[in-house]
Amino acid sequence: MKGTELILRALHAKGVKYIFGYTGGTIMPVIDEMGKQHDLFTFVMPRHEQGATFMAQGLSRASLSTDNPQIGVCMSTSGPGAMNLVTGIADAHMDSVPIVAITGQVATGVIATDAFQESDVVGVMMPICKQTYMPLAVDEIEKTIHEAFYVATTGRFGPVVIDIPKDVQLQETAKKYSFDLKKYQPRLPGFYYHPSPERDVLHKAIELINRSERPVMFCGHGVISSNAGEMLQEFAEKTNIPVAFTLHGLSAMPIDHPLSLGMMGMHGTVEANRAVMNADLIISFGMRFDDRVTGKLSEYAKNADVIHVEIDPSELDKNVATSVAINADVARTLHVILHDPELTSKPRRRWLKEIAENRKITLAEAEKELSVGVGDDGKLLMKTIVSRLSTITEGKDIIVPDVGQHQMMAARFYNFQTNNSWFSSGGAGTMGCSLPMAIGAKLARPDERVWSISGDGGFQMNIQELGTIMEQGTDVKIMILNNGYLGMVRQWQTLFFDGRYAGTPMLSPDFGLIAKAYNIPYQKVTELDKVDAAIRAAAEHEGAYLLEFICDPSEVILPMIPAGGGFGDMIVSRQKA
Amino acid sequence: MTVKKMKRRAILAFVQNKPGTLNKISMMIRRKMYNVDTLTVCKAKPLGVSRMTFTLREDDEARVLQLIRQLEKFTEVIRAKELDPDTSYWREVAIIKFELGKKTLEKLQKTYQFEILDSQPHDIHIIQIAGPTDRLDRFLEDLGAEHLIEIARTGVTALDK
Ligand SMILES: Cc1ncc(C[n+]2csc(CCOP(=O)(O)OP(=O)(O)O)c2C)c(N)n1
Ligand SMILES: [Mg+2]
Repeated sequence: MKGTELILRALHAKGVKYIFGYTGGTIMPVIDEMGKQHDLFTFVMPRHEQGATFMAQGLSRASLSTDNPQIGVCMSTSGPGAMNLVTGIADAHMDSVPIVAITGQVATGVIATDAFQESDVVGVMMPICKQTYMPLAVDEIEKTIHEAFYVATTGRFGPVVIDIPKDVQLQETAKKYSFDLKKYQPRLPGFYYHPSPERDVLHKAIELINRSERPVMFCGHGVISSNAGEMLQEFAEKTNIPVAFTLHGLSAMPIDHPLSLGMMGMHGTVEANRAVMNADLIISFGMRFDDRVTGKLSEYAKNADVIHVEIDPSELDKNVATSVAINADVARTLHVILHDPELTSKPRRRWLKEIAENRKITLAEAEKELSVGVGDDGKLLMKTIVSRLSTITEGKDIIVPDVGQHQMMAARFYNFQTNNSWFSSGGAGTMGCSLPMAIGAKLARPDERVWSISGDGGFQMNIQELGTIMEQGTDVKIMILNNGYLGMVRQWQTLFFDGRYAGTPMLSPDFGLIAKAYNIPYQKVTELDKVDAAIRAAAEHEGAYLLEFICDPSEVILPMIPAGGGFGDMIVSRQKA
Repeated sequence: MTVKKMKRRAILAFVQNKPGTLNKISMMIRRKMYNVDTLTVCKAKPLGVSRMTFTLREDDEARVLQLIRQLEKFTEVIRAKELDPDTSYWREVAIIKFELGKKTLEKLQKTYQFEILDSQPHDIHIIQIAGPTDRLDRFLEDLGAEHLIEIARTGVTALDK
């Protein structure tokens, strides 16, 4: 068999159905072979390789909670093709998303001679992905691909890159070559993976939980990745402990649950951030105390013991010192802890009352604007649009935001009801991720409605993926919240740069004409009383739909803890000049 | 800027003997903003495993632990740990070429017991000396920089008691 056949055989064995790929000299043989086996794979061609990485992410992330979890695979040619994958791979690494990237490489005979379209892909990718491979002989291909999938999906998830020289793709195996997947075991003595919690640390954790008066639970990405949302909710209910969410923890349980504090951190709710500030115990599941979550570390949760459940041991005690560190899978830990007979509950009347008071502040602040719906200039507010969308879809749809103010508005104002229905770029915050990621999510969950919500800036970073939507007939509902600015940066300029708007005003094209060019129905919404009808039209339409909302550029997302500030510095309310 | 002399640390890593492993380890050390003082690599007892010892400067225990955990995260790193100077031997070897009169040479040899590898006319000698870093440093001091022609040092390798 040829190398290309082995590549596809391995992918097929791993349940891969979609290949997000873009052809070119050194990957042609693989794509050619795929063309011959056209019934096995659906080839989805992005309009830029970066799109492929985000489509792969969307597929991996959205399918994770279904009966048919799939790993997104993206493919590109060497040199420029592979370099176009970089941003999306780095993004997947930051957000622990399992994807596999296969890149063609120049032939082994000319590697490291600056051959045509040669880039040191392994060298470039090494620091921004979980593992890199370069099989140098045809009989290494299958075991490399299987190991790659194993590494990508075991322990803390992450992206893996396989760079395959063209001559290796074309090599024929020796007659006696065989590969038995059933007998295959990756041989990785250094791959530390510790899924089950240790008994004694668990007991210590339960002791702290039972003792605490003012506990808060954190729901991070690890809860989503280990499909533990329901268990987390059960645990919260059983112990009567409120839950705060990281950006990636959103949608693990209904966000309007009585014990939910909503999102915490830089743009978190007052109740979440104050609860963290005043807590005597933090029980953190599958998160890494990112600076967007903690603010100034020296002031962070000073009076709290910290129980940290995390699959990646290098995250334990990294930013926040723990009282009990549990290096284990979130789902397994919850499963054990939930059924521990020593676990007790308390009414926590004082603590929950304090939280309820703070929740009122957040609601009242939002209500000031939501009740009007538009800004001083009469233009729409993003929070209005997102809350309307939330009401109309009953919080049940899949939301894929881009990066910016609209992302934080979506995080704060969508009433998440469906498990694993929020796919956002967090660690990297990569503008342009939304449109391609929404395509991947829709392929994974074809029966659910998927909304891609972008700003005018980010939308234009991967606007070309409208071509993929057109070609694939993907039913993605697209919203552009157009405020004429790189809004999130503008907000910083408003708050911290004396309102000097350098490099943030942005002229956009006529999105209606663009939609028309791609044969996608379009509506521009400028008035409050047209918002609902437009959202309904898009929701009910079969196929992609583009909605452009003209938004107030001076809207800000609050609360906000300034970068580097502590929770005491939280800006809750806007003083208008 | 005054550079504070920080505590010297020896970190030992058992790694898979594969291309790219050294690259990854040095990349992580760079990302953590350290400068490698010394680095030695050799084959370890198990087949296909290399033993890497490197030294760097850091006072903060937590940061050293972080580095070790992040190194261990690489699939190629089987085990990494810090070697405590009180419970381990740190040694290095130097090959030194210098010009020195016979009398002083003999005196130095009595103190340091090095091996003379080569002696050439005009009092030029090549010697091999091994021991803890400070012993080698002391030898060089006693020798005097004006006599030194060239020096090759391996850097520290270390072993637990
Ligand atoms: C690729 C990339 N470049 C730059 C940034 C920095 N950045 C973060 S948010 C933002 C503004 C986004 O503007 P827009 O897409 O219009 O969304 P808005 O904030 O207006 O809702 C910028 C420039 C980024 N996150 N990603
Ligand atoms: Mg904008």
